Amino acid sequence: MSVDKASSVDDEDRKKNRYHFDRHTPEYREKFESITQDMHARCPIAWSDTYGGHWVAAGASEVFELARSSDKVSNDHDVKGERRGYQGIMIPPQPRAKGSRGGFLEMDPPEQRYYRQALNPYLSPAAINRWIPFIDEVVRACIDEKIESGSIDFVDDLANVVPAVFTLAMMGIPLKNWEIYNEPTHAAVYTPPNSPDIVRVGKLHQAMREDLARQLAEIKANPRPGLVDALARFEIDGEQPPDDELLGVLGLIIGGGFDTTTALTAHALEWLSQHPDERARLSRERDSLLDSATEEFLRFYTPAPGDGRTISQDCEMAGTEFKEGDRLWLSWAMANRDASVFPEPNTIDLARKGNRHYAFGIGIHRCIGSNVARTVFKRMLIQVLDRIPDYHCDPEGAVHYDTIGVIQGMRKLPADFTPGSPLGPGLDETLEVLQRSCDEQRLAEPVTSRKTEARIAR
Amino acid sequence: MKVQVDEARCQGHTLCAMIAPHVFELDDVDGHSSPISADVPAGAEDKVREAAGSCPEQAISIS
Ligand code: SF4
Repeated sequence: MSVDKASSVDDEDRKKNRYHFDRHTPEYREKFESITQDMHARCPIAWSDTYGGHWVAAGASEVFELARSSDKVSNDHDVKGERRGYQGIMIPPQPRAKGSRGGFLEMDPPEQRYYRQALNPYLSPAAINRWIPFIDEVVRACIDEKIESGSIDFVDDLANVVPAVFTLAMMGIPLKNWEIYNEPTHAAVYTPPNSPDIVRVGKLHQAMREDLARQLAEIKANPRPGLVDALARFEIDGEQPPDDELLGVLGLIIGGGFDTTTALTAHALEWLSQHPDERARLSRERDSLLDSATEEFLRFYTPAPGDGRTISQDCEMAGTEFKEGDRLWLSWAMANRDASVFPEPNTIDLARKGNRHYAFGIGIHRCIGSNVARTVFKRMLIQVLDRIPDYHCDPEGAVHYDTIGVIQGMRKLPADFTPGSPLGPGLDETLEVLQRSCDEQRLAEPVTSRKTEARIAR
Repeated sequence: MKVQVDEARCQGHTLCAMIAPHVFELDDVDGHSSPISADVPAGAEDKVREAAGSCPEQAISIS
């Protein structure tokens, strides 16, 4: 009897709750509700043999416990093999991400905390509120581009543009560069590795990374305010991290800032088109409903459906015996449908109370951009409700991502509406005006040095 | 009624201040919450209960 045999018997026992879990298949998207129900009922934590074998936490209380145990559950991505070789938050590891760490989402404290402390003053609720006039002006220009025609693609013409432009503004990157960043960021998520388009997307991605490196070098040489500057000046124990580490953080900000808010907005607009009475009610009662509706769309559509982790010590948590090095998938999306926390979890209730959802993750890695996402989403939604209240999405034209393993997103959402009149200039001219406001008022300063709201000339 | 936010648990999700803006204030720099006063103002009890039930980190306690 070898020791190996004994431990494999042990292994069988601790992995007795098994579920074949493959979130990267179209089937997972199609059967999401029944798979979720099944897992909640039979195995809120399950072992799956897929992708080299990993745990899947689907139940709300299990996800709650595991996500908040950062002493035993690691986010580290040890790309250079300097520590314990952990693989970060992607299951399976993404080929594109080989050799680069995904910013502080793939770090553990204290390093992770230092980065967040450096960036929080740019992203706190008070910091984001200062930008509302800026955001409103970008939304206005996007709608004005289309309002006379009576048709819009909510993804291409609105929900892609606003988060991209605003993220660049906060970073201190020229607004006119938004197109360099926009397509590769979204396409990298929805283009499968075997697609004929992958070479083109790879090139766009490369061009984006080059621009980002250029911006970092430029800002290091000639500081201008923004998140890039915060990183250019960032030190841990008196030492500057290498540029590839900083570029990983900038990549995280872009990846987090773009596709997720787009996904949330598109899904919400599609649902509101299918439920015109609810849309009218939301518009009418927005003072009391806008906040709760936003949280409910976040819960229901959970744009970032989960995160991978690595168990960092042998331990028992949530009734399961884990071994150091085990991989774990925390499913925010499935936890958000747990009936023990969210009554009637598969129904959208715009007035839902006690909605302590997991859409931004929980624990120390809570999405640092959550205030950005909420604010940008609400500002887009309000102007759509005010300016094109009778829009109707064409169900034939709507294109959802084939899989929801990485982002639960949409590629197209065309809609028609009664045409109206523009209120101001189009997008290009608006971005020039807004760039001047950014430069003159130093809008991208952290809230610790600028408290006042953006003033937008028009 | 008294209310407390456990600093070690709060991660700045901001739901409490969204629901009961007169009871919770958010730090300008990191968005973490603290009660404006440990004593819940009369009439705000229901909102505070709702906020406690809505905190994703379960960081709010009422006594
Ligand atoms: S809802 Fe909870 S985690 Fe969020 S700010 Fe309030 S107390 Fe903190």
